[in-house]
Amino acid sequence: MAEDLVLDTAIRDWVLIPLTVVMILIGILRYFVSKLMQSQPTPDAKVVKEGQVVVRARNLRAGANFIPAKSFRARRAYFSNEENGLLHVPKGQGQNPQAQMFSDPNMAMDMMKKNLSMIIPQTLTFAWVNFFFSGFVAAKIPFPLTQRFRSMLQNGIDLSTVDVSYVSSRSWYFLNLFGLRGLFSLILGEENAMDDTQRMMQMGGFGFDPTKSDCYCVQRIALVY
Amino acid sequence: MELGLSKNYSDCNLVEWTLYEQVAVAAMDCQSLDVAKDCVNVLQKKFPESKRVGRLEAMLLEAKGSWGEAEKAYSSLLEDNPFDQVVHKRRVALVKAQGNLSGAIDLLNKYLETFMADHDAWRELAEIYISLQMYKQAAFCYEELILSQPTVPLYHLAYADVLYTLGGIENLLTAKKYYSITIDLTGGKNTRALFGICLCTSAITQLSKGRNKEDKDSPDLQSLASAALEKEYKRRASDKLSALTLAFKTLKVSS
Repeated sequence: MAEDLVLDTAIRDWVLIPLTVVMILIGILRYFVSKLMQSQPTPDAKVVKEGQVVVRARNLRAGANFIPAKSFRARRAYFSNEENGLLHVPKGQGQNPQAQMFSDPNMAMDMMKKNLSMIIPQTLTFAWVNFFFSGFVAAKIPFPLTQRFRSMLQNGIDLSTVDVSYVSSRSWYFLNLFGLRGLFSLILGEENAMDDTQRMMQMGGFGFDPTKSDCYCVQRIALVY
Repeated sequence: MELGLSKNYSDCNLVEWTLYEQVAVAAMDCQSLDVAKDCVNVLQKKFPESKRVGRLEAMLLEAKGSWGEAEKAYSSLLEDNPFDQVVHKRRVALVKAQGNLSGAIDLLNKYLETFMADHDAWRELAEIYISLQMYKQAAFCYEELILSQPTVPLYHLAYADVLYTLGGIENLLTAKKYYSITIDLTGGKNTRALFGICLCTSAITQLSKGRNKEDKDSPDLQSLASAALEKEYKRRASDKLSALTLAFKTLKVSS
C-alpha cells in the first residue's frame, strides 16, 4: 500500500542533520587521536635490506636488455642461486607475516590501537542513536524496496504495514557510516583513519600468502625468464 | 647573505629553517666557515635536540678539517639511527677527503650491501674505482647504474669509456654498442660518443687484423660517425677542423 506519509520537518532538523554532523565530528576527532597515538616505526635491518634487494632485482629485470649478457647472467645467479642467492628464502624460514605481526609487540600494539579506535566510537554512536532516535520514522528512501529489508531498515518501527521505504534512524546511521568515507578523504586528505571498510575487508582476507616470500618468489621466477 | 635572509624571509617561517640549512651547506662548500657557523647556531637554538642539526654540526667539523671529532660525531649519530643514509654517506666523504680511498671503498661497499638501491652511492663508487684504475669493478658499478636508470646517457657513455679502457676485442665491441646507445639517447649530439665510435672501430680493425673480420655494419657506422663529427666541428669549431681530419687520417678512418 503506497500511501504517502508526511514526515515532520522537525525530524530533518533534529535527527538527520545532527546525526550527520556528530558522525563527521567524531570522525575528525578519531583522525587526530590516531595521529597523536601513532608510534614511530623503527626500521629493522633485515626489512630495510630486503626492500632494497627487491628494488634492485626489479631493476635487473627491467633493464636486462641494457647490460651485456654475461653480466646479466652473473647477477641473476647472484640473486637466485640455490644455496646463497639473495632472493632465496630457505624452506621453513620464510616467515608468515601474520605470525610476525602477532609476535612483534610493536605491530600488535599498533593493530590493537587501531582496532580500538575504530570499535569504540562506532559502538558508542550506535548506542546513542538507538537510545535517542528510535521508535519513529526518520526518512524515506526514494526508491521502492522489497519486504525483505524490513527487519534491517525498520528496527524501531513496530508497524508492519508501513512501506519499507520509510526507514528508521538506525539505517540513517549506517548510511552515514559507509557514505562519509568519501567526504573524509576530501577533508582529511588521502590517508585517514576513517577507512573502516577497508580495514574490515583487510581483516577478512587474513589468510593470504606471506607477502615477503611471495615478492621474492615473484622476483626469482621473473628473473629466470 | 644573512641580512637578506632575516629581512625577506621572516614571514614564511617554515621555509626559513630549510633555507638556513641550505645556506649553511653552501657556505661550507665555499669554505666561509663563519657564515656556516652562524647558520648552524641559529638552527641549534631553534631545534636543540635535532638529528638534522647534529648532522650539520658534524659537517661543520668536517669542513674545518677536524677529522677525528667529525668521525666521532658521525658515529654517535649512527648509533642513534643506524639507517640514516645521509650520515653513512657523509662518513664515506669524510674518509675520502682524508685521502684514504681504499677505506672509502670499504665503507661504501658495506653501505651498499644494505642499501643497494642507492644509485648515488654506486656512482660515487664507480668514480673512486676509476681514479684507482680498478676498471673491472667500475664497469660493474656502471652496469648497476644502467640497470636502475637506463635512459640516462651519461652512464652508458661512462660504461663505454671504461670498456674501451679495459681493451680486448669483446670489450671493444661492447663499447661500440654502448657508444651507439649514447648517440641514440642524445639524438646524435654527443661528440664524445661519436669520437668513441671512431676510436673503437679503428682499434677493432687493428686488433682483428689476423682474424676474420666481423664488420657487418662497421664501415657504415664509422663513416657516419666521422661525417657527423666533421659537421659538428664545421659548425662550432671550424678552426680545429684540419686537426680533426689529420686525426682521422692517422686513425685510418674512412670518411
